[in-house]
Amino acid sequence: MLEGHISKSFDGELAGLHIRVLEMGGLALDQVRTAARAYAEWDLRNAQHVMDREGLLNTLGMRIYDDQLTLIALRNPVASDLRAIIALAKIAAELDRAGAESCKIARTVLHQNGRPGRGTSSDARHLANLATSLLRLSLEALDQLDGELAEQVIDRDQDLDAEYASGLRRLLTRALENPSQLEVTVEAAFALKSMERIGDHARNISEQIAGMAAHVVRVTRTP
Amino acid sequence: MNESNQTFAPQAPAPAVLAAAGPGGEPGQRHHDAGLNLRPTGRGGTTSRLDGSGIGQTLGTVTVVDPVFSCRDVNVYYGSKHALKGVSLDVGKKQVLAMIGPSGCGKSTFLRCLNRMNDTIAGARVTGQILLDGQDIHDAARDVVQLRARVGMVFQKPNPFPKSIYDNVAFGPRLHGLVRTRADLDELVCTSLQRAGLWDEVKDRLTQSGTGLSGGQQQRLCIARTIAVKPHVILMDEPCSALDPIATARIEDLIDELKESFAIAIVTHSMQQAARVSQRTAYFHLGLLVEVGETDRIFTNPRHRLTEDYITGRFG
Repeated sequence: MLEGHISKSFDGELAGLHIRVLEMGGLALDQVRTAARAYAEWDLRNAQHVMDREGLLNTLGMRIYDDQLTLIALRNPVASDLRAIIALAKIAAELDRAGAESCKIARTVLHQNGRPGRGTSSDARHLANLATSLLRLSLEALDQLDGELAEQVIDRDQDLDAEYASGLRRLLTRALENPSQLEVTVEAAFALKSMERIGDHARNISEQIAGMAAHVVRVTRTP
Repeated sequence: MNESNQTFAPQAPAPAVLAAAGPGGEPGQRHHDAGLNLRPTGRGGTTSRLDGSGIGQTLGTVTVVDPVFSCRDVNVYYGSKHALKGVSLDVGKKQVLAMIGPSGCGKSTFLRCLNRMNDTIAGARVTGQILLDGQDIHDAARDVVQLRARVGMVFQKPNPFPKSIYDNVAFGPRLHGLVRTRADLDELVCTSLQRAGLWDEVKDRLTQSGTGLSGGQQQRLCIARTIAVKPHVILMDEPCSALDPIATARIEDLIDELKESFAIAIVTHSMQQAARVSQRTAYFHLGLLVEVGETDRIFTNPRHRLTEDYITGRFG
């Protein structure tokens, strides 16, 4: 999809952009996994590791932005090439936001306001597994520019949304039963919301990939 | 002949295989496979690979409302070479139609059909119907000199007459008897040079030779000469290819102004220029008109794989 130009250097530049977005995706995925593990195990070290790498994700995002500007300025891309560059820009932005959500989860651990109970931890672990899985699949779809796999991710995000709603209801029930743990409950709710949003970002990434495959530019929903 | 808003079916017998447009195509649009290889576009449909051995059907809307030129099933032969094959295309009023395509695809040949410049080429033969404001330009009663006044042409290489700047512009109106008095002629020359964006640069040296101007100025002088005879249409065959970027930008700005008064058809090898100056773009390939449509759509989401491959630099 990105290759086949008479100018092989243009092929190379587009491929380079694709690879850098994949690299950013790999880092974002690792951030999400590390943050989820930190929350599940209430592990300060892993939480700090997530915070320490936040700047790296931003740096990758800025470089991708510069690459896109250069491509547009020098190559005058049109049609599928232009749509691909725009889609990769949107994907990079979604990865940056997914990384930001993982930092929110990590901060919850670092605040040390109280570890969530077993039930909440179980729900959080389940949600984190779903969100991580969606993000991983979206990155696989990005790697292969696979529209069909992207459509699967879009469909499965609905399951994550349903699990989040259920988990939130259970959390609120526990809060009503134990009002003294309100602050812990509120932080847990934010952590669950961050996991749900990571799933939304995975869905948005997949929508861009599906759009590239269908030769349209998709407008994504804001989580 | 089946004229519709969407497609035009050529009068020649349809080729053997019909391919339906995929989800990317508009309802009712079809394109013929010219009996050749089909390969998927990946858009849920198929498109034809045209090798020029048959007559294909154009993707997109060939017609416009109230056209100045209406061309149907135009074929051009240079001896035994079939250079243009069953092209049907309208040229709209007060808009710019850009024609793009690789070298030898027939876009300049089609352009020259519009003012019968192909008549000057030995062995050239044109068939089909070309209507200018509803009248056949090949009608026996048609004065081809008058036609070429109504359908002016600007060429790739600026070709001012070896005359003064004034006489370059005045030559046509004098020849066609468009003015009665010297004062009227002076005003016409002044207005034409102003509209061509050249007046301020030459107003103090109208008696100097037109060939002494820079390349960009000479081209604007040629445009002034063209519009002085009050054409309906201006044809431009790669008007900026011999000019520097600054001169090119000035010509393009001029085209943008002129389209308010004239229909303009421009052949260009620069896709970026076609994207900048035109409202409709037509892509030619091996003598066939492959696709035509609004310029912003052609350059963001072309429907034919050949168009996509050409404008993205995968072919051509």
